[in-house]
Amino acid sequence: LRTDSPRPPFDRILVANRGEIAVRITRTCREMGISPIAVHSDADAGAPHTRAADHSERIGAAPAGESYLSIPAIIAAAVRSGAGAIHPGYGFLSENADFARAVEAAGLVFIGPPPTAIEALGNKLAARRAVEAAGVPIVPGTTVALEDDVSAVERIGFPVMLKAAAGGGGRGMRRVDRPDELAGAMAAARREAAAAFGDGTIYAERLVSPARHVEVQLLGDRHGRLAVLGERDCSVQRRHQKLVEESPSPGITEATRAALFESARGVAGTVEFHNAATVEFLVDAGGNHYFLEMNTRLQVEHGVTELVTGLDLVAWQIRIAAGDRLPDAVVDAPRRGHAIEVRLYAEDPYDGFRPVAGRIGAWRMSEGPGVRVDTAGEAGMEVRPEYDPLLAKLLVHAEDRPAAVTRLRRALDETLIGGLQTDAGFLRWLVDDEAFADGAYDTGLIGERWGAGPPLSDEDTALAAFVAAEARRETRPGATRRVATRSVSPWGERARQDALRG
Amino acid sequence: MIDRDHLEVHVAGTAAEPGAGWELEWVDRASGIVRARKGGRAVMLLVEGVGSHWAVTIRGRRIPVEVRGWRERVLARAETAARDDAGPLTVSATLPGLIVTVAVRPGDEVQEGDPLLTIEAMKMQNEVRAPRGGRIIEVSIAPGQAVATGVALLRLE
Repeated sequence: LRTDSPRPPFDRILVANRGEIAVRITRTCREMGISPIAVHSDADAGAPHTRAADHSERIGAAPAGESYLSIPAIIAAAVRSGAGAIHPGYGFLSENADFARAVEAAGLVFIGPPPTAIEALGNKLAARRAVEAAGVPIVPGTTVALEDDVSAVERIGFPVMLKAAAGGGGRGMRRVDRPDELAGAMAAARREAAAAFGDGTIYAERLVSPARHVEVQLLGDRHGRLAVLGERDCSVQRRHQKLVEESPSPGITEATRAALFESARGVAGTVEFHNAATVEFLVDAGGNHYFLEMNTRLQVEHGVTELVTGLDLVAWQIRIAAGDRLPDAVVDAPRRGHAIEVRLYAEDPYDGFRPVAGRIGAWRMSEGPGVRVDTAGEAGMEVRPEYDPLLAKLLVHAEDRPAAVTRLRRALDETLIGGLQTDAGFLRWLVDDEAFADGAYDTGLIGERWGAGPPLSDEDTALAAFVAAEARRETRPGATRRVATRSVSPWGERARQDALRG
Repeated sequence: MIDRDHLEVHVAGTAAEPGAGWELEWVDRASGIVRARKGGRAVMLLVEGVGSHWAVTIRGRRIPVEVRGWRERVLARAETAARDDAGPLTVSATLPGLIVTVAVRPGDEVQEGDPLLTIEAMKMQNEVRAPRGGRIIEVSIAPGQAVATGVALLRLE
């Protein structure tokens, strides 16, 4: 796409993040002729994201609070390295208005929405009031901080969700089913919110269930032009956090889609907005939608939109930050085909999706037509408890949803991660699940259909037993090395004969 | 009689029979990547582990597999038998070998699982652990001594 400026908008950009998103941003910098600068904590010295960049600055000790969340350390690193702008990625400082201001105060460009927008939308309660005033439907509930008087909550009707005003992204949420649980839950939610966000303010929303979680991608330039780049359906969630995202949503009508886009414009209009953001909604079984929150940053799942629009969202974030105008080709970008992303996490889906730490063994990512993998993982890498256990994002793109699901099944079968349990077994189950295949699923899918996962099939049990026994035979001291082995019944005898023939 | 070639397999904690009709081919032996074929269909999987502890990953699911050779089988049975016995307990050699170290003396109090001694057999050191807690009342062997299967090693009160 043609841009206003033929020259790179910045000589160097500091990527204030780690892992796959740092690698992904680095790639766009390279394509734009910009020198990417990485940052690393002591735990990440030599990590893949530092090797992808031209240079990496040490910013502190392993705990994120002493490195990736340290505003002074990151600003100092940017100044030392001669970067003209900072891209915050997602998580860490990406939605921290103080950080955005500190970047600007240091004479650098913050690649993201203005601090005032980050601040206004970061307070979820204030955002609810502003959005409601703009005529966009919000989830029914309170629009002022909850006090000890519970009558406001009782008027909403149970079950309710208690949420932290300073929360977001599924953090700081607590479900309450009965009035007698309310007082205790409110006290616990306040404590959690105060501990996690330094602000114990909470509010209540009616639980919308069944519901789909659908979000709208926005890009806005500094000259008042707004691009609505379609929606992503993120209804496959555990712990209120996303595991799978797809576009277009298989569960909404064209009328609902148009209404979502209109509401997303309305939400963006409540603040002075530019750069990239996502407006999240719940859509109930009747097709009614309710504003949840607006995230003023690049989302983990932005690649889904990139696949259906063919746009590089990170490149546009950088151009917008440099003052470029959004051309018609972006504002009216057609959306083609269907894209699905699945997140590969180091966590155990057979044990409540509990995060696991450990060392990655084998590491094979899928390739081939219509497949994109965003990752900073590799064989032998230590998955540390300090950071997010996201190992990789596997994305597929195809002409329609059935073809995309088929492609995803193939891509997952090519994906091999050893050394620790991952959610790959869940994802492989999901592509064969009837509700997912139909597209007729909602945010309750994991709770209702997966639970703790299906029991091991007899076939898989017998195969696992055979493979492990054969592997042990081969590693036994003095065992004959074989290239191939065959299981027969009785299974032991023939394998030994094969070994003897060697 | 011990069948030294027989392997006892537990998949996710349950005894299992190895399946028939599969053909295996190493794709990457160092990483444990294996191609398994049956009935004209091939699937890639992972097998990782050492000794009796293994994990096999099939369609993304990592499945723990215990593979016990005769040595671990004998040790496991001796432990189970010992746990069932409430009175004074004689810990006997479950395999023939050379006593390498003895970690306890008469009068010592031990907890279940504490190391008692090591026996070297087939160039491998096998740790003998306390099958249950109690006080050591007698140690009948010393380092350097060769023992046969069934020889009394020590007694627990």
